[in-house]
Formats: sequence, C-alpha cells, structure tokens
Amino acid sequence: MKLPTFFRPHLEGFHLPNGLEVWLAPERSSPTASVWVWYRVGSKNEHPGITGASHWVEHMLFAGSPRYRKGEMDRAIVSIGGNLNAFTSHDVTAYYSTVPRDHLAVPLDIESDRLTRALITDEETDRERSVVLSEREGDENWPEFRVEEELYALAYRHHPYRWDPLGYRPDIERMSGQQLREYYRRYYGPRNAVLVVAGGFDPRSVRRDVVRRFGPLPGTGADPRVRIVEPAARGERRTALAGPGTTPLIEIGYRAPSVYGPRTPATVMLGAILGGEAWPFEAGSGWGRAKEHPSSRLYRSLVDTGLAVRAVSEFRPRVHPSLLTVTAQAAPGIRLDRLETALEGAIDRMRREDPSAREMQDARVRIARGAVLAYEGASRTGFRVGLFASIESPGFEPAMYERLLAVRPREVREAARTTFDPASRVVVTYEPVSGRSS
Amino acid sequence: MNAARDPLQVVLPDPLDGLRVALQPAPGRAGSVAITYLASAGTGRDPPGREGTALLALTSAVAAAGPWGRSELARRLDRLGATTTSHVAPESSEITIWGPADAWRTLLEILATVVLEPRFDPEDIVKVRRQIEERQLRQLTHPDRRAERELLRAMFPRGHPYRETGAGTPASLARLERADIQRFHRGHYIGDGSLVVLTSGVAPGTALSAIRRAFRHLDRGARLSPVALPPPRSGGPEVRVPIHGLTDVEVRVGGPSVPRSDPSYPALALAQEILGGRPTLNRLFRRVRERLGLAYRASSELECMAWGGYWTIEAGSAPKNWRRTRDALVAEVRRLDERLPSRREVDLIRESAIGEIPLSLETTLGAHELAIDLAYHRLPGDFWRTWPSVLRQVRPNDIREAAQRGLALARSHTVIVGSI
Repeated sequence: MKLPTFFRPHLEGFHLPNGLEVWLAPERSSPTASVWVWYRVGSKNEHPGITGASHWVEHMLFAGSPRYRKGEMDRAIVSIGGNLNAFTSHDVTAYYSTVPRDHLAVPLDIESDRLTRALITDEETDRERSVVLSEREGDENWPEFRVEEELYALAYRHHPYRWDPLGYRPDIERMSGQQLREYYRRYYGPRNAVLVVAGGFDPRSVRRDVVRRFGPLPGTGADPRVRIVEPAARGERRTALAGPGTTPLIEIGYRAPSVYGPRTPATVMLGAILGGEAWPFEAGSGWGRAKEHPSSRLYRSLVDTGLAVRAVSEFRPRVHPSLLTVTAQAAPGIRLDRLETALEGAIDRMRREDPSAREMQDARVRIARGAVLAYEGASRTGFRVGLFASIESPGFEPAMYERLLAVRPREVREAARTTFDPASRVVVTYEPVSGRSS
Repeated sequence: MNAARDPLQVVLPDPLDGLRVALQPAPGRAGSVAITYLASAGTGRDPPGREGTALLALTSAVAAAGPWGRSELARRLDRLGATTTSHVAPESSEITIWGPADAWRTLLEILATVVLEPRFDPEDIVKVRRQIEERQLRQLTHPDRRAERELLRAMFPRGHPYRETGAGTPASLARLERADIQRFHRGHYIGDGSLVVLTSGVAPGTALSAIRRAFRHLDRGARLSPVALPPPRSGGPEVRVPIHGLTDVEVRVGGPSVPRSDPSYPALALAQEILGGRPTLNRLFRRVRERLGLAYRASSELECMAWGGYWTIEAGSAPKNWRRTRDALVAEVRRLDERLPSRREVDLIRESAIGEIPLSLETTLGAHELAIDLAYHRLPGDFWRTWPSVLRQVRPNDIREAAQRGLALARSHTVIVGSI
C-alpha cells in the first residue's frame, strides 16, 4: 500500500534581533487565525521548594500586564468569539488564542504585552494559590493521576521529571509571589520563546506587525537547559496505593529514550504495536490520556480475554529520557496479580519476537494517516509548528515521520529488549477501598 | 459561491423514506470527513427494569458487524486511518466515523454495516457488560460521576427518560440478554427518528446517492412509540453523599428547564452563557474562581433537548470551602433571576457567542457538531447563518424572564459529594 505524503503547511521563519523565534503559517482560506507563544520552560526547570512554579506562572500570566488588567485579556479574546488558554508540561509552557481572522491584532498585542511584563503581585499570587490547589485536588480524585504521579516519583530520584507539573502540595502552599516573579524573569523572554501565527492572514503585514510589537522587547530569557542526568536504575521499584476507586489498577513504567535519541522511532513503533498509540506528540502533561485501540496487542490480550476493562500503553518522548508506560484496569472480580501476569506476558512477547509484517504495516499506515490529518485548522497548525520548533525546529517533525516509517521489525524487538529491562521497571498498583458511607 | 461549499449552509434533502440526511460542507482545506448515524435509541427508551439496554446495544454494535469480528473491524478502521466514537444520550444513540476524506465511501459503507448488521457476538456483550459494570462503580465512587447521578435522580421521578445515566444498575444489567439487545436494536435503529450527517467536500448529489445505497436496508416502515414524560420534581432537600479519602468536594445544583423548541430558548441560552457558560466571561468563573478563589472549576450547562431539558451548575472545591462555594453558586443564579443583566454584559456575551461560530468551522469535527445539532432539532439549513440576528433581538428583560423559567432556583436541587 502506498503511504500518504506528509502534509506540511507553508512556513516562513525568522528571528528578531532580541532573539525571538517567529514562524508564520499562512493559510488564506482559513476563517480563523491562531497565535501561540511557546516557552522552553516546564517543570523540568524547577527544583524542590518551587515545584509547580511553571504551572503557577502560567496561571499568573492571565492576572494582568501593563495594558491588560486582570480579566481583560480573556475579555478581549472571548468577546470577539475567540478562545484562549495555556498549558504547562514537563518541558514547555504554551499560550494560545484562536480568533476570527480579522481580529489577529488582539492576541498579538496581548502576547507582546505579557512576554516580559506580566504583573505578578503578591495579592494575586495568594488569591490564585487556592485555585491551583483546587486544580490539584480535582486531579487527585482520579486514581489514574495518583498512580501516575507515584510512578514518576518512583522512577526518578534526581531528575525533575520526578514531580508532576502541578507541583507538590506543600510547595504550592508555601511559594511566594517573589519566587514566582524571579522564576518568570529568569525564563520568560524572547530568547527562550517561539511565536507561531497560523491561519488566514497576509504574511507580509503580519510580519511587519510582529516586528513592531515584539521587536522592542528586551532580549531576556535564560538558557533553560537542564543538566541533571538520572542515574541508571539497579532494580525494580514498586509501590502499592489504596483509595476510593472502582477496580484494581496497575501501571508499569520502563526507562525510554528522549525525543532526540537514536532508538526513539523504534520505541514509538514498539508503543504503537503494543498499545496502539501511533502518534505520540500531544499537548500538556497528560495523565490518563492514552487511548485504547482494539487492534493492539494489549487490548487483545487483556480486554478481549476479560481480564481488564481498559489496557493502554503510552510513550510520549520528552526532551530528556522519560518512561514508556503500560496501564491496565481490572475487570470486576479480577485480581491484580492476574492482571500483572498478563501484562508481563504481552511485554515478554515483544522482547522475544519480531512484530509481524502485518503489524508493522498497520502501524505505519496509522502513523501516515495521522500525519495527513494533523494540520487541520489554524489551532492545530499553531500547536504542531510551535511544539516542534521548541523541541528543535519545525523540520524535526517530517524527519521523525520519515524515520518512523523506516523502522524495521528487528529494531522494534531490539527496542523492546532495551526498554523492557527488569532492572528499570517501576510498578504502581492501586487497590480500591470502600470510601462510601452512604 | 456554490451553496454546497458554504460552510454555513447545510443541505437538508428530502428524507429517504423516513431517514433524514444532513450534508455539511467540510472546512476549506480539511483532509478529513466525518459521518454520523443517529438513532432515537437513547437511554430514555430503556425498557423498565432493563436500564443499560441502549448503552449495551450501542457499544456492542460498534465492536463487530457484518463480516468483521472485533479485531477485523478495528484493524480495518486502523488501516484506513479512521476512528469510531459512539455516544448515548437520553434521547439518542450516535455512531461517528472520522477519517481521511479520500476514504469517505468506504467509511460510509462501514458505518452502514455497523448500524444495519451488528453481530452482537456473545463474547462482545460480555466484554461490554464488564466495562459498564466498571462505569457503574465509578458512578458510585468518583465525586463528579456520583454527583451527576444523584442530581438526575433528584430532579426526575422514576420513569422519566432523563432520570438515569444510562449505565443501569447491577441488577438491570444482569437481566439483559442477547435477545434484549437484538430486540432493542430492531425496534429503534430504524428510519423513524434516525439521521445521517455527512461533513465532507463531496457534492451533495453524489453524497446523497451513496447514503441512499448504503442504508437501503434500513427498516423504514416501523414507527417509534411516544415516550412518557412524568413531571420533574420541583425542589427538594439537599442531597449529601460523603465519600472519604477524596481531596475535593463536588458541589452541584440543577433543575428542570425547557425543550430546545421553546420560544424562549435564544434568551435562555444567553442567560446560561452569562451565568456559567461563556468561557472566562461568565459570572461563576469571575466570582467563584477569579474573585473568591474557591474553585479551579466553576461553570454551568444547559441541556435543552427535544422532550425537555435541565440546567446544572457545578464546582469542585476544597473540603473546607464547600459551603461557601455552594452559597456563591446559588447567589449567582439568584442574581440572574432577580436583576436585569446590564446591556453591556449582554452585548459582550452575545458578540462572543456569535464570534465563536467561525472557530467551530476550523475543523471537520467542529463543523460536524454544528450540523448534527441543527439536523437533530429540525432547524433550517441556514440556521447558523441566521442565529446571530436571532441573538441580537434578545433584550435584557427577555434574558431575566427566560432565566426565571428555565433556570429557576425555586425548582432546583442541590447535591454535595466528597469529603464532607
């Protein structure tokens, strides 16, 4: 079968003298325009005591800037029918607005105003503290969040991937406005940011507008590189959790390469065959987001056989080496040990045998088809261009795509042997306890 | 401009022997197509004592159909780069396939096969039943799901089609056999009450003949019986469900509202947007989150369906704050009931709602959602073009009157779930 060609939007890229990297992706027929600003800062840049700072600063960037008092940014965008939001991951923080195309100047004005001049006051910091805590408390009600947070805490002893981008509760309770301001000043600046404008606009006039609005900003923004390397694991690590829930849950993690690693494409293919996920680049930090695929090996060996109601794998390559995880939720009446044995069986088979030609071809088709649909609409275009520009360059994506399609069955088995090393295995189980009192 | 290419003009051909069709143009350079089959086979039509039938029928149907067993069907969709989603609501069941535009004919044929020839293999029914059992447990243990369940039960009496979440109970699910599922399918996946929506770049004539051919075996003769609608309950004591070991408390308030066809709907829709619907501009967000810092999440929803409707407001709050959160939520509903919204606020919310329409047309799936809504409620094909002018005729007084009727605090119920 001939694979579809990867679609890339027309791109114009340039740097401003202050260091800001800019990408324009004009699509004249688009009724909308989307503005994204990506900062190469995430929870990987934090340290104990200020965990959650990246995420909290993200909230504070909606709390006011010289030209927009609190609430006015939202008002300016939403009142014209647009939407705006932001997210923080381990590696990056991104802000986006999508508006009807005639209103593109509004998000450009907002982003240029808050790029270096956000107002992070002590009063607003304190007010937002309870909101950030509430966000964390909402997530904690999900067993999937608790398990994933524990899994990463267990897998990493030194590297900042150890904590979730929401941060630890005691740090959120204690962090001050001053600490957030210092963090913002250090990491937010044109040198550490990527601006992407996608959708219906004239690139020449938008380029002029970008230069006019962003050009005068000072060339700040520190080197965000993190040099901490997690030492090799020397044996399995395991934790058992309990709490309100439905049926037992298990998540197993293994060390996996960074997005830049030579065996990353083979590891992505490994995940695609095991759990079905064929395109690993998504927004946000993302617990519990992996989708089920009824044709995947995990689904067939756990869900179809009645052991689980859900079985997925996830490998989302990050800037630093991360984890490939497999997760299963037991069917009612099934014990955890049976679930774990079945998961181990599926993993072991990946270690022992090359995937079949049919499995390889199916995974390639899914990847290729996904890539064809990836740039539909200005918002998605802005997301993808910005994500890959902040990782390396927009050209990184088609290059990765070509490498993925070229992976051979033997490389997948080798990736499985390297990845599924019992010495780097981390296991977290969750047993529901009756929390009901009425 | 060719009318078929205008994204705000949905083509609504004459029904094909009862089966209604809507053809929505896909956005400019969209590489995808979306196709939905919707049947009047919602949870509100579950036979008494057999709650869960609609959900079990729908979820089993999409597992295996025609010549394809569960692995074959999944693999076939994978190879096309397509995904299937299914959704059951009180009034309807929907199956949607989204995939590459060049595969539209094949996707349409797969959808028709799933609708017309589900296999209902016993092992698939067993598998889906297990998944629904887990969902039932989640409705007991997760505050968000539990609050939804308790609020529906508080608002609607036994026998009302909106009372249940659709997952049924352990007893009702255990009672269901393959023959029940097949009977439900035969009786409800029929021409009467059904709809096919196609969002694509395909010319309407070509699309219509392909749909006609794909669904030629749909039973067009049978008729659906009307659904009984006992009156909703008017107010009641606060329901509190303590669940220990949770980190936040779910606060939910809601009450019955009007059907979508009610003349006050445009004003009511704006009232709901003002209260808690319009992102970041709404009163609940501004007061409960931004000013009081009580909750990360505070919002409202309005479900105006064909047979009736209801509204809800919700927030997740720290255990120590749930009373203040509840009171703040209720105060905002009361304020909408008692005081006229300012002209400035109404203009802001309205223009936001109008300006949002182009954003919905960014992607195939966004445009598709608009078309399903339009077609299900039997609105004219240019509805989304004329909707802005309808909204601009709404006055502040209309909004208050609509809120008094459709967001009435006096008829509301409150549910609190979590560490209380």
